[in-house]
Amino acid sequence: MINVVYSTEHWIVPKIVIGVLIVLLLAIIVTEGMARVKAGGSFFEKPKPFFIQNCDHMKLWGTLILFAAYIVCLDIIGFTVTSMIFVFLFNILYAGTEKKSLILSIILAVVSSLIISILFGVVFNITLPNGFCTLTLVDLGITIY
Amino acid sequence: MVFVSHVLIALLGVVAGIVFGAIPGMTATMAVAVFLPMTYAYDLDTALFLLLGLYVGGISGGLVPAILINIPGTPSSITTTFDGYPMAKRGEGERALKVGITASLVGGMISLVCLWLFTPLLSAAALKFSSVEKFLIILFALTVIAALSKGQMLRGIFAGFLGVLTSLCGMFSVNNAYRMVPSFMKSKMQEGFQLLPVLIGLFAIAQIFQEAEEGMRFKVEKTDNGSKELSTFSLKDFKGQGVNLVRSSLIGTFMGILPGVGGSAASILAYAQTKNFSKHPELLGTGVAEGLIASEASNNGLTGGALIPLLSLGIPGDSTTAVLISAFMLQGIQVGPLFISQHPDTWNTILIALLVCNILMFICMFYPIKWISKIIYIPRQRLYPIIIMICIVGAYATKNGRIFDVWTLLAFGVIGYIFGKIKIPASCYLIGFILGSDLENYFIQSISSANGSLVVFFTRPIGWVIWVLIFASVAYAIIDDRRSKKKAAQ
Repeated sequence: MINVVYSTEHWIVPKIVIGVLIVLLLAIIVTEGMARVKAGGSFFEKPKPFFIQNCDHMKLWGTLILFAAYIVCLDIIGFTVTSMIFVFLFNILYAGTEKKSLILSIILAVVSSLIISILFGVVFNITLPNGFCTLTLVDLGITIY
Repeated sequence: MVFVSHVLIALLGVVAGIVFGAIPGMTATMAVAVFLPMTYAYDLDTALFLLLGLYVGGISGGLVPAILINIPGTPSSITTTFDGYPMAKRGEGERALKVGITASLVGGMISLVCLWLFTPLLSAAALKFSSVEKFLIILFALTVIAALSKGQMLRGIFAGFLGVLTSLCGMFSVNNAYRMVPSFMKSKMQEGFQLLPVLIGLFAIAQIFQEAEEGMRFKVEKTDNGSKELSTFSLKDFKGQGVNLVRSSLIGTFMGILPGVGGSAASILAYAQTKNFSKHPELLGTGVAEGLIASEASNNGLTGGALIPLLSLGIPGDSTTAVLISAFMLQGIQVGPLFISQHPDTWNTILIALLVCNILMFICMFYPIKWISKIIYIPRQRLYPIIIMICIVGAYATKNGRIFDVWTLLAFGVIGYIFGKIKIPASCYLIGFILGSDLENYFIQSISSANGSLVVFFTRPIGWVIWVLIFASVAYAIIDDRRSKKKAAQ
């Protein structure tokens, strides 16, 4: 029997699911611990290092920080210009700063941002983030975000 | 002349659909939603050719990035990555794509025949499902994911229920009360987390984090002469796969009929069943045509299946057909039990349009596939910044422009990355997330109608059949778990 009371029924299923999760977690700890004991080890083992051995901290954290900064700037600057800046920065982060590679990064950033912005913002009329660089061409009835 | 213009508009739909499907983060649902305003200008027949083209193309296009870069282009191509990506890594990308496309065509055709023959019959069967059976079928889907977790049964189920819990964050629709939401996020979390940013985060952004950690050092393995032989496609790939093809297509069609049980559940179930019946189940997941056929036949089988409840009951079978309902409403046509008898011409148009779109999809993908598969030779450190940008567009547009959904995208990218580290299968988590809110609704509906008595889940004959299936899949999962652990020990 489960009493369904209007004011609290939104907690019925979450509580059951949390209960199931606790049981499963215990089962995982016990079975995996027992397996280690069987294999001649101890019930608890030292956790392995979180990052891989040759972890590229620069690229990993760079990706996270750039991504967050990208989102923050979208609403302030507007989609097209923000994307040009950040696609360029991601390119530098991933492909380096050689002169040849730098030129390719600039071209890629500008062209891809413009294509995506016009295709989705103008042709498909999807709302994109807008900011102070957003251009509304009243005569043509289009907005370049 | 009218037919020629219809075929041309269907071609536009199929090509645009393939592009949407092939770009991670853009789905068939989005393709249909984006093109929907275009149909204001058309009559219903033309609109149907366009929208069904987008639907078929969008579902099929998902296999391209799934095979080539291990990112499912649409939710239903998750299982395509299991065998498709290992094949591509071996230099058999083209062969994998062609196997997938051919299986897609067969799946689409079989489901079309089902749609044509069984619409009244099958919809009558699904009509008998009460909330009890709907709840049990979701529970069944959750136990089935355990069969997929390769000797990690408990972790698989744990991930599934964690996904269910995540999907429950937000407002419960019956009493409009929030749970598990900090008060400052309440205005954004009415409907909880949106599926699209969660999906793209878990499968696209998490992978970018992982490859960033590895330093983005890619060796693009060009196929040398020795492996060229391996990469050619021939109909031999389908030798002995006839049963698999038909079974997977029918699973896709049947799962499509069940409202709320979408493409990802269909392909997961078909994949699991193929694994169960396979002569070499241990090879699945290492890059064999068998798994690829199961996945692609079933997700295209969905297209016809999902239309059955839409046209007979007015209930969409998946998210894409939910968008299709609004297309019918724009044209002033009520879909429901009376649809076929009141609009026989439109019914015929739908069948012909689906046939045309499936054939066009095959032509558009099979022959130029060499060109499409060139994607893999593009240096990915150049591709990822653009993928990040497109993912942001997709996430932002999910609810017509909310920056909150973009933060969701990043958050689930980080979560997916951490899942990879602590060995929690992200695909199981996602399945739980997709099915979670339905699971809750049907559970509450069932016990409310029985005044809180749990006995209600054991009183209906159709329910008993599903219970048997649930226990069978749990038993299978335990046996499979033991077997693979023994193998690992040896």
